[in-house]
Amino acid sequence: MTALLEVRNVKTYFYTQDGVVKAVDGVSFNVNRGETIALVGESGCGKTVSALSILRLVAEPAGKIVSGEIIFNGIDLLKLSNEEMRKMRGAKISIIFQEPLTSLNPVLTIGRQISEGLEFHKNMSVREGMQEATRLLQMVGIPHPERRVHDFPHQFSGGMRQRAMIAIAIACQPQLIIADEPTTVVDVTIQAQLLELIRNITKELNTALILITHNLGIVARYAQRVFVMYAGDIVEHGKALDVYHTPFHPYTAGLLGSVPRLDEPRKTRLQPIEGQPPDLIALPAGCSFQARCAYAIPECHKEKPPLLEISPSHFAACWVSQKGSRSWQK
Amino acid sequence: MAEIIIEVNNLAKYFPVTRGLFHQKKIADVKAVDGVSFAIHNGETLGLVGESGCGKTTLGRCILQLIRPTSGEVIFEGRDLCELSDKELVPVRKKLQVIFQDPYDSLDPRFTAMDIIGEPLRIHNIFKGTEYRDRVAELMNLVGLAPYMAERYPHEFSGGQRQRLGVARALALQPQFIMCDEPISALDVSIQAQIINLLDDLQQKFGVAYLFISHDLSVVRHISDRVIVMYLGKVMEISNRDELYKNPLHPYTQALLSAVPIPDPAVEINRAVIVLKGEVPSPMNPPSGCVFHPRCYRAFADCPKVVPLLADAGDSHQVACLLYETSRP
Amino acid sequence: MVSSTNTTIVNERPHHTLWGDAWIRLRRNKLAMAGGIFIIVLTLAAIFAPLITPYSFAHQDLNAILENPSSKHWLGTDGLGRDVFARLLYGARTSLAVGIFAQLIVIGIGLPIGAVAGYAGGRLDNALMRFVDVMYGFPDLLLVILLKAILGGGIYQLFLAIGLVAWVNIARLIRGQILAIKSREFVSAAHAMGGMGPYITWRHLLPNSLGPIIVSITFNIPRAIFTEAALSFIGIGVRPPTPSWGTMISDGYAVIFASWYQVFFPALAIALLMIAFTFLGDGLRDALDPKMRR
Repeated sequence: MTALLEVRNVKTYFYTQDGVVKAVDGVSFNVNRGETIALVGESGCGKTVSALSILRLVAEPAGKIVSGEIIFNGIDLLKLSNEEMRKMRGAKISIIFQEPLTSLNPVLTIGRQISEGLEFHKNMSVREGMQEATRLLQMVGIPHPERRVHDFPHQFSGGMRQRAMIAIAIACQPQLIIADEPTTVVDVTIQAQLLELIRNITKELNTALILITHNLGIVARYAQRVFVMYAGDIVEHGKALDVYHTPFHPYTAGLLGSVPRLDEPRKTRLQPIEGQPPDLIALPAGCSFQARCAYAIPECHKEKPPLLEISPSHFAACWVSQKGSRSWQK
Repeated sequence: MAEIIIEVNNLAKYFPVTRGLFHQKKIADVKAVDGVSFAIHNGETLGLVGESGCGKTTLGRCILQLIRPTSGEVIFEGRDLCELSDKELVPVRKKLQVIFQDPYDSLDPRFTAMDIIGEPLRIHNIFKGTEYRDRVAELMNLVGLAPYMAERYPHEFSGGQRQRLGVARALALQPQFIMCDEPISALDVSIQAQIINLLDDLQQKFGVAYLFISHDLSVVRHISDRVIVMYLGKVMEISNRDELYKNPLHPYTQALLSAVPIPDPAVEINRAVIVLKGEVPSPMNPPSGCVFHPRCYRAFADCPKVVPLLADAGDSHQVACLLYETSRP
Repeated sequence: MVSSTNTTIVNERPHHTLWGDAWIRLRRNKLAMAGGIFIIVLTLAAIFAPLITPYSFAHQDLNAILENPSSKHWLGTDGLGRDVFARLLYGARTSLAVGIFAQLIVIGIGLPIGAVAGYAGGRLDNALMRFVDVMYGFPDLLLVILLKAILGGGIYQLFLAIGLVAWVNIARLIRGQILAIKSREFVSAAHAMGGMGPYITWRHLLPNSLGPIIVSITFNIPRAIFTEAALSFIGIGVRPPTPSWGTMISDGYAVIFASWYQVFFPALAIALLMIAFTFLGDGLRDALDPKMRR
């Protein structure tokens, strides 16, 4: 069975006064129908830009998808016209943004914002759209939906606004939802509510989900496959269990080692990754992680490692890993 | 246990909500902090956890008198800080310092690194000339920054480095106590660990006490000696760190801990999460009785009627919950 | 314990001080630079006027009235035989002086009032701002005319009249800036260190407000220049024999059909100087905007 979405070697660059920022530099991943994958990494790694590139929401002229293919259901999204792409957004692929306060229109009722997509994509009338919006609000767990559908965003709390965003995202029953840091701004108990809700809905509607986050716990709980990103590249990917238990890239291992865990005995000292992320305008030759890597060998400074196979479902972009000495694995 | 350096007694901070065109009339109070009592011991790290709206940040600022409390006491060195004027507080501030959350906003963009770190020294007129420069260089080394960067501006540093500047600044006067207000929340995960280790090392070296305010339970467990859990302006539970995480008594603490996903798919695949219903209520209109009862999965008939008091429930373990109240005096 | 990788600067871009950074950005702005150069050249010309032209602004040659531009009188002569070019140069002194000195009064009054209102807040802020609001209610030019009529006199009184009316803008601006900056965490940090009001205002609040203040002043100068010209035009600005572009226009207006350039050259001078300050002000605003610096 072919994948629902296949991103092939996409490069998205930003052209600034100071130079070219290679935000996404040759990234490939795929999502199968009904599956949840995670793009995980820290700020500046390119995960959000990757998501925006799929929906072609990268701000031009400063940003540009320079090359690559994005095959969705057999069609290359990058070759579609603007009009055709607009028919995709919200209907076949939708997105949940991080900050519901700024992604919701303050002067439209929640109901209208949900029914907007229905009116545009499914040719519903305003009345039909509002009825469906009420049903969707119920589905995402908002109490008294028939009343709340006429409320404005500022009358909702943060957690409820995010639920409204989920309702907007599922309104036209898309095949793929992209969730960009959907719970970063909410509290941990609300986060639990929202993520459980998203999981239940995607299971019920058999929707594929790309979960973008920096939170390793969320990835572990909700994603089947993981793609770890660093400085615009995917440095490791595979099944969540494999990547977490036997990380083949020092960055993945470093990330896992630097996070305190509630279920393990308390370490006396955390194992941070030293240094800081590189400047995306002035990346070094060779592996982007070399400056912070405790295991770097001469090859790392010369040539950037491609994703090398460890098993048919587990890949890592690391020269040292290939040589067999993986002292960072427990 | 070491001696108590700060004692907080029944601290409360209410923000009035006013309405009116010409004459502002008070219609309600936002009870940000509503009767909180605890003690901080010499050299310990007291973790303060809670979600947004629980009052932890306001509490931290009230202790340092950056916001003046509505009522209650903060006893330090035998005096109630709430009673001291701004001017009288100036010498006291040498011993009570702060590290802020936002590494971008907590540094004056027009100050060089040297200006920033040395500001406490300048305000209190300690050191001049070469002594001053040496002290700044020493502080920079302590936090892992190279002294040659002293002439640079904040925008030339990364987020983690800026936070190190904040730490160096807090240490400048050799304080006894530092209030850390979400010091790592704005940083990347791999950098967070660096700063946590740094704070740990500095505490071992100088014996400074921390009030570590955070919403990140895993980090609080790592760094704290004791932990306070707050909800809607009130303390729900206080305990030793190990005891709290092994044996959380208050339903809210249990839900909070359960909500944190563990970075291990093997563990998560089988773990059930306690999902609380509803939202955090507005502090302007807190629920009656126990403030947590509308969302509590173990609430019973008395909960909306009686306000639970913080009571002993074991070895230095206190909890405010009717489930554990054996009798009322 | 200390990691060496934390001692590297994250961006290896050239190090500039904040003013140096602003200067580089200003330099890139061609219009701003053109404006700035024009102002500098005009100022130098005004200062060194005696070296540039042999004529005095008051010397009358009644044998040579209303002459066209020639090699003897580069821009001709006016109705009293005075050299137009010379009067233009000396008039520049008046315009620039008014522009600059009036601003000193504006800063002298507006800055402390705005700063105090912003920092103190509460009732003092309320009282001061209500006063500012009342002054705002009056049309600027009329108020200046009224003050000048009361004060009488010449150029110094003109500085005062313009300054006493224009300070309200700066006061409001500074108050707004200070209110915005007051809530930033580095101010809380200074407070937590033991800094008191005046220290915080002087070391943190004002320096961070400088950008918009400088821009505002740069835009206020052409307004002052225009006000002087307007007042001189209607006869209550500077007193003769002090040269003024405004006076030149009013004198030239009477003979406009005989010799149009009497009005043209001073009007052009006013326009060019105002445009120059406006370009410079725009450029300064962009250069000093902290958001545009990464």
